[in-house]
Amino acid sequence: MINLQKVSKTFQKENMEVKVLQDVSLDVGDGEFVSIMAPSGMGKSTLLNILGCLDKPTSGEYLFDGVPVHAMDDDDLSRIRNEKIGFVFQSFHLLPRMTAWENVILPLIYSDVDVDMKERAFSVLTSVGLADRVDHLPRELSGGQQQRVAIARALVNSPRIILADEPTGNLDSASGREVMRVFRELHAAGTTLIVVTHDRDVAEQADRIIEMKDGRISSDGPTKVRAVEVSK
Amino acid sequence: MRVLRASKQALSAMVENKARTFLMMLGVIIGVATLTVIASSVIGARSDVMSKVQKFGLDQIMIMAGSGRKPGVPQPVPTTLRIEDAQAMVSEISNVKDAVPQINRRDFPVKFGNKSTYGVLVAADANWSDVWNTPPERGRFFSREDNARLARVAVIGRTIVKDLFESDDPVGKQILLGNNPFEVMGVLEPRGTAASGVDMDSRILIPLLTGQKRVFNQDYLFMIKIVLHDASKMSQTVEDVRALLRERHNLQPAVEDDFTIVTPTQVMNLASKVSSTFSLFLILVSAISLVVGAVVIANIMFIAVNERRSEVGIRRAVGARKRDILIQFLFEAVSVAVIGGIAGVLLGLVGLKAVAGFMKVPAVIMWQPLVLALTCAVMVGLLAGIQPARRAANLNPIDALK
Ligand SMILES: Nc1ncnc2c1ncn2[C@@H]1O[C@H](COP(=O)(O)OP(=O)(O)O)[C@@H](O)[C@H]1O
Ligand SMILES: [Mg+2]
Repeated sequence: MINLQKVSKTFQKENMEVKVLQDVSLDVGDGEFVSIMAPSGMGKSTLLNILGCLDKPTSGEYLFDGVPVHAMDDDDLSRIRNEKIGFVFQSFHLLPRMTAWENVILPLIYSDVDVDMKERAFSVLTSVGLADRVDHLPRELSGGQQQRVAIARALVNSPRIILADEPTGNLDSASGREVMRVFRELHAAGTTLIVVTHDRDVAEQADRIIEMKDGRISSDGPTKVRAVEVSK
Repeated sequence: MRVLRASKQALSAMVENKARTFLMMLGVIIGVATLTVIASSVIGARSDVMSKVQKFGLDQIMIMAGSGRKPGVPQPVPTTLRIEDAQAMVSEISNVKDAVPQINRRDFPVKFGNKSTYGVLVAADANWSDVWNTPPERGRFFSREDNARLARVAVIGRTIVKDLFESDDPVGKQILLGNNPFEVMGVLEPRGTAASGVDMDSRILIPLLTGQKRVFNQDYLFMIKIVLHDASKMSQTVEDVRALLRERHNLQPAVEDDFTIVTPTQVMNLASKVSSTFSLFLILVSAISLVVGAVVIANIMFIAVNERRSEVGIRRAVGARKRDILIQFLFEAVSVAVIGGIAGVLLGLVGLKAVAGFMKVPAVIMWQPLVLALTCAVMVGLLAGIQPARRAANLNPIDALK
């Protein structure tokens, strides 16, 4: 479902060319749970933004569901983000003035689907364990709860894939584990997930780990450690 | 549907920061309020003038003695305008139906017993009452015979009655006009205040010949008012009157008229000029306030866009198009302006009451000024909002999310 071919991204910084991604080729299939792991500043977010149609590659091709994204205009990209992609960010990115359910319906506002928004919000908030927090404002929720609201928002439009950029980065370890447990449940239910992290423990929750170095993929394979974990 | 949902998102931000929202509205409130006052009072003044002109008569012309442009301004009156001129107009110009020769004198002293006051003394022919459409409400108006025998009779307005007689019946009483005793034979129907500010009810009417011989001691006139058969031939008749008077007054071609012809259109222009200076001032205030209002809204919107970068980023990430963001911010600016506009209209209507009392202009509340004011508010919102909204829409979502 995701198919990157020799994607490069170069930023212009004070007349200097910064090559953040170089010839990255990558395939992610339906239902996979993949983590992309690298130290900070290695281009993880840049890659995720391209995967999430928030940004375009400088060169190379990107097919999303077989559709060439690199050739699309801004409105088309907005539409793909709205219908097929759910984002989860490190700092939650909830709108502070809106309650949990109002935050969750945000993608529905920009879509053409005609559903009972509040009902839909309630059902996804229930699925992330926040049935009793629908009318709370973000500041009335813990970090872990806020991130679960963000996950509910990512899920509300039934996207093809969830992209998470350091989803546990701002959370204590218990909340982080809780968020990862939600991801594993989603994966078990068939959702495709890509999680970006610099944290090996988090990365190892996925079935497949892609490691990056100097803007290139340095390793790509199934998670072994979990097998070890299971055998313990 | 989607646009509706997107614009609904706009309103919550306004409620959040009330002081700032009020600041954004202030210019629009002031601008729209003054606009409401101007538009309403201009329309009010115009309908006031129209009704005055209607009263004056669209089929009537005034001929004032002297070349002065403005009727009623004191100046040496030439002695050339005569009763015979009035008679000649009726007999020689076919479109002239009737003519009232008259002498007017402002601030003329009147006494009754130990009470005294000042009025506008008008000496006129007996047809004055019909031509000026001012019949007596008590007693009677003087007749041709009264005029012919130089009767010492007067018909007075209500202000004079009030000043000299309070609630007593003045009919049959002796008053002094200057030092001349006159008998009050009637009271005129009230006519209120003229556009020029003259109290029409302070008039004292006496027969023309009586006035010439016994009071003013002059054989010339102050003015002649004529009534036409056919008002559509107004301009032709004006020329006929001018030619006749120039001939009768022996004016050589190079000499200017020794009289001034005032038509209903001129009266109308004069009356609307009075209010136009005041409205020009208000239009200036209104325009400045609206421009300042727009600048304030635009600036605060720019600040708001900066503060809400991450909101824009979030909305873009979940699928808002540039145009959805544009509409949201534009809708915010317009809503603020329109709410300010509504407040301005209400304030304006209150102000209108005050202005109406102060300027003695009838306060007319009509829908046109309100629509105009609100349209201006919407325009201000759109103009002020478009640049900030564009900036918000064109934010790079990745930068906005950082
Ligand atoms: N818009 C940009 N302009 C210039 N440089 C950028 C921009 N975005 C990211 N970079 C640079 O690209 C590199 C990778 O950034 P990023 O993808 O955020 O890394 P990570 O998410 O792995 O920490 C960093 O060195 C960063 O400074
Ligand atoms: Mg990052």
